[in-house]
Amino acid sequence: MVIRYRLILLTCLLVLAACNHNQPGKDSQLALLKTMNPNPVVTDKTKDSDGVDEIKKDVSSLPEIYDVAVVKGKKDTLVVYKVKHLHRFKMKKIEKNINKMLEKKYPKENFTVSSDYKIFLETVRLDERMKSAKFSHREAEKQFKKIVNMTDNKK
Amino acid sequence: MMESKQKKQNTTLQQRNYQQLQQKHEIKRPVLKNCIKAFFVGGLICVIGQAVSYFYIYFFNFTEQSVGNPTVATMVFFSMLLTGFGVYDRLGQFGGAGSAVPVTGFGNAVISAAIEHRTEGFVLGVGGNMFKLAGSVILFGVFSAFVVALIKTLLIIWGVL
Repeated sequence: MVIRYRLILLTCLLVLAACNHNQPGKDSQLALLKTMNPNPVVTDKTKDSDGVDEIKKDVSSLPEIYDVAVVKGKKDTLVVYKVKHLHRFKMKKIEKNINKMLEKKYPKENFTVSSDYKIFLETVRLDERMKSAKFSHREAEKQFKKIVNMTDNKK
Repeated sequence: MMESKQKKQNTTLQQRNYQQLQQKHEIKRPVLKNCIKAFFVGGLICVIGQAVSYFYIYFFNFTEQSVGNPTVATMVFFSMLLTGFGVYDRLGQFGGAGSAVPVTGFGNAVISAAIEHRTEGFVLGVGGNMFKLAGSVILFGVFSAFVVALIKTLLIIWGVL
């Protein structure tokens, strides 16, 4: 009986491993589990990504944070980050500090800050879609607004 | 303390000898072993819960804040099914508190009481006794949530938060 169970388990493992082989995987598949460090995204084609890079660098410099994604839309700028495990007790304080720092350094920008995994996943997906030629800037802006709305619903 | 001393004095020599003999042969409770088992079983249930919440975040429109409700519902449903099939009882025997403390223990408490009183009929048996164990969990859960909400409201009114 035990041998039969082991054989079934082994067969399942082999079949699953075979199915996984050489499949083109997307980065976003593991966005919840590992550090992604996605490139900053600008949905407005008239703006360049220099300022966004700087925002990302500033937020990444905080010791409690390990993964930052920045998306710049027409009006808003979305900053999403992951907090290191032992610092997750101070999430509100960290969010407050980031908001303060960004408002002080970039007073003209309108920031939306979030540490939610879902928002992070959606920004990584947006980054992936932006790479394909079929995805226009207009669609990107629409998707960006959807993500920003998600952070509003959260509150 | 006094009562136990009096009880000791009331026992006969033969009874005391028997008690000593019993204590000598009594198997000691493996507390450390039980704690380790509970730690791993509880941890395993929590890992499954985390996987379920990641599943909801990844495939559905739930954010980290809103994913708690469907995850809890799923975990309770799974534990109810496993209790019905008689699997969770074995896990409970092995893991002890590790299987009772997570939210899955709630599902187990509801269904095990329902199964136990099934012979007394559906209305007075199953319906009346289903929440015999889980009822206290709901009562004290709701009451403590009310107290915490009251404290938070007062702190907000006073401007502390």
